[in-house]
Amino acid sequence: MSTCYLKVSNLCKYYSSTLLFKEISFKLGPGEILGITGWNGSGKSTLLRIIAGLVRPSAGQVEMSYKDESIPKDSRRKFLGMVAPALALYEELTALENMEFFCRVRGVSYDRKHCLHIMERVGLTEHAHKMCRNYSSGMKQRLKLVQALLHEPPLLLLDEPGCNLDSKGIRIVEEITSEQRRFGMTVIASNEKREVDYADRVINLSE
Amino acid sequence: MKSGRWITQTESSTYLNEAMAIWLRDLRSEFRTRYAINAILMFAVTTLIAVSFSIGAFRIGEAEKPFLYAVLLWIILVFSALSGLSRSFVKEEEAGTMDVLRLSARPQAVFLGKLFFNLTLLGALELIIVPSFILLMEYEIQFPGFFAAMTISAGLGLGAGTTIVAAMIAQASARGALFSALSFPLLFPLMITAIKGCERAAVGMDPAGWPEVRIAVAYVIIMIIMSLFLFPLIWEE
Repeated sequence: MSTCYLKVSNLCKYYSSTLLFKEISFKLGPGEILGITGWNGSGKSTLLRIIAGLVRPSAGQVEMSYKDESIPKDSRRKFLGMVAPALALYEELTALENMEFFCRVRGVSYDRKHCLHIMERVGLTEHAHKMCRNYSSGMKQRLKLVQALLHEPPLLLLDEPGCNLDSKGIRIVEEITSEQRRFGMTVIASNEKREVDYADRVINLSE
Repeated sequence: MKSGRWITQTESSTYLNEAMAIWLRDLRSEFRTRYAINAILMFAVTTLIAVSFSIGAFRIGEAEKPFLYAVLLWIILVFSALSGLSRSFVKEEEAGTMDVLRLSARPQAVFLGKLFFNLTLLGALELIIVPSFILLMEYEIQFPGFFAAMTISAGLGLGAGTTIVAAMIAQASARGALFSALSFPLLFPLMITAIKGCERAAVGMDPAGWPEVRIAVAYVIIMIIMSLFLFPLIWEE
């Protein structure tokens, strides 16, 4: 089990003078899954983006530690994988070329077999050499999952992971989430009951 | 249990490796889409043809040729660059890939990768436009070595200057206008130096110490170092 921990303390986010959420605190340890729910616009995606380091909080702190050592914010990207509707992949590249790029840019040695293995898990092996621009929205969502799992991160951030997926795809998300329980932590932001049910704890941002 | 696999592999990552990955990906994308190269080359070739037909080799007095030709050459190069070099960052923003890149690579590596890509485009532009300009305009150059060094060093400066401005304007609206407006004051000293240097090379003035080349090289070094410090602030929200 990875020895990575996530601690979120008193997180607040304002956009201009509008309060999105305040005083969000939680701790997450290995094997745990946290669900985040809330109305549209309640800040679920923003909270995930703050944890990922893509957005600065108005107040509060996000801390990650690995083997009891604090991970600096600029190194956090190595320790997390993220799937979100707003995260797009390179449409002018094939799926395999996208994966090769993400391996190289993250400093993970590119192993074609490993990439194809993960693609097989999400049912994309046959389409590995297709340009992403020719993918359906469901196939793109599956490829986003591959991208997030490529470096086997101890923290998986899933923003509406079942978005655009068919029943097979949703089962794949279930498998990935339960497998991640053995390897690390997961935060799922969704309003789909089935997705939130994977979680051990749920934070409702609308309350 | 797979714990540790990813962490041991990420340790071998260097800025240069990440930058090279971004550069190669940008090149691959550019070969397939030809967004930037088409914009740059179309502008450069049409301007060059317009200049060579309307002015030609015979309408300017011999005494004015070295200076005016240097001005025309750098106007073509700078404005062609401005027409396409912002694409390196703008296309990431438009395609929605900015965040996935933020999550995958370190800011300095992104800047270096984009800089390498812009320098590749500028290199291709100079390779096509400079010899064509010399041939079409019958541009006589007394010190070809100095002229080449001037063109290369000023090209590097042009790439460094436009890359950091492209990063700044990528998330703004009215990007095209902003890119030209912000680039102009930043590139103005370099343009003046490049024009002076090319004039000196054409006239045959003694380029002892290669002053303009040294200024352009200093500009490149300052611009890259400043950008490496500033870029993380631009790159993060």
